[in-house]
Amino acid sequence: VNSTLTGPVATYLAQVKAELSDLPPGELADVLEDVTGHLSEVAAEFEAEPTAAALQDRLGTPSQYADELRTAAGYPPRTKAAKPERTGAEAALTWGVIASIVGPLFLIIALANGDAEAAFFGVIGLIFLAGAAFMGVRALQGRDPRIVLDTHRGQRLSENIRGLIDQIPPNVRHELVTIGQPVWWVARGIVGGGAIFAVSGASAVTVVGALAGAIVSVWIGRRTQEDRRWLWYVVPLNVVATIIVPLWLAYSFVGGSAGPFSNYRSTPSSTNYYSQNGLALDGTSISNVYPFDEQGRQVKVRLYDQDGKPISLPLQNCAVSTGTIGGNDSVSNVYPQAVVRTDEPTQTDADGNDITPCTETDKAPFVPPPAPATPTTGPPPGSSTTPQPTPTPTAKPSVPVASSKPTPTPPATTGKPGVTLTITPTR
Amino acid sequence: MDPSQLLKGVLDLAVLAVLRDADGYGYDVLRRLRAAGLEDVADASVYGTLRRLFAAGALTSYVQPSEEGPHRKYYGLNKTGLELLAQSTKTWNHFADTMSGLLLEEAAA
Repeated sequence: VNSTLTGPVATYLAQVKAELSDLPPGELADVLEDVTGHLSEVAAEFEAEPTAAALQDRLGTPSQYADELRTAAGYPPRTKAAKPERTGAEAALTWGVIASIVGPLFLIIALANGDAEAAFFGVIGLIFLAGAAFMGVRALQGRDPRIVLDTHRGQRLSENIRGLIDQIPPNVRHELVTIGQPVWWVARGIVGGGAIFAVSGASAVTVVGALAGAIVSVWIGRRTQEDRRWLWYVVPLNVVATIIVPLWLAYSFVGGSAGPFSNYRSTPSSTNYYSQNGLALDGTSISNVYPFDEQGRQVKVRLYDQDGKPISLPLQNCAVSTGTIGGNDSVSNVYPQAVVRTDEPTQTDADGNDITPCTETDKAPFVPPPAPATPTTGPPPGSSTTPQPTPTPTAKPSVPVASSKPTPTPPATTGKPGVTLTITPTR
Repeated sequence: MDPSQLLKGVLDLAVLAVLRDADGYGYDVLRRLRAAGLEDVADASVYGTLRRLFAAGALTSYVQPSEEGPHRKYYGLNKTGLELLAQSTKTWNHFADTMSGLLLEEAAA
């Protein structure tokens, strides 16, 4: 019934209800039906929604109102002392704290991993969050949510928070509320809605989800201002958003574009080096380099850029794939790098060794153009007759490069993180 | 003398009297009492009185939808209520006559 009331009027009703909570449930429901009707009529006497103070001027305090009602209706004097109210507030606060810590913990584990197993954690986190929040609101028993501030812990908590707020200059505080709050509402909605629908994989769905999330988030924000009981749900969700929003921003900044990094390292020859993210040539990532000498023989070289920095790539050999070594330190600028064999796994290698569960090779997986001499390491059998469009190991570099003049290379547009490597022919 | 103190004793009768003409919901009863001259009546006590008379079996109650806002709970007199009104009216008249007589004697003396 009380769903038609909002703001201070609803709060007034809740407070009257709390004062009458000792009545038998049936009588309480009936009399509250009358009180609800009365309060909505009284609210209509005002031009705008009445404030709590205006309501008290008109009707007296909620407790005076309840006392008048009690006397006139001949109800027995209030039996329950203020004690259960306190424990209810205590419980409400405890559930709120649980909802704000345990729920977000699971949710963030889920969001950080993002696989199917993590989704399970996410569901647990959501159930925990919603369950604890529900218990917290139930513990209020319709009383004003502010009663939690009267408890011992509530007082300490609010003092601490007030202390923090006092450190912010008043004008900044005002800006934060008037500008920061709506921005925050929209941001958390976009991230929240986007994250939920990003699971589907389609970017269009994600955009719609983000928009819907923003709208829902703003609506919830406004609702919460009217009915503070929403705080039990909103605060835990805000905890999640406070952690996820910066992470998401950081991820989209670093992962979505190589711009900041490639530009930062930009040098006149526009040769960039960023070992973790690999090499790229004109937007295509390079996973290995197979140098050939002028006679077409595969050679082993070390690569350095114009500043003498090694041009390294992460190792892809057996030690890495079996986890013997790993991490970002396992990089090398010796080329060709050995890679795990994926072709013809049943064969023995060139030296006649037996196959092992993991074999590696540094042989070029392609056939270089015909050359006068036989490659020392030998190309795959039957390859010398089929020339293929590959870099010609002659004096003239045929690698499709940009000009020999230094040109700043635009960031890779493929969306893959990486650094653009433009090979400058300097011989 | 505080009229609101006097009112407490006769609020039942006032509410019954207002409902004799037509059924009414709480705020409507309140308005009719004010219109009749009982400006000092407290909102909550009228609602409480309605609840007590209803609990005593003197009133019927039914809900009616309204064009503006939520449904309204109407109260009306039933047979018991009418009897109570008649009896209370008698009591009041007797009391008022007694008081008036007392005051006249005082004035004459």
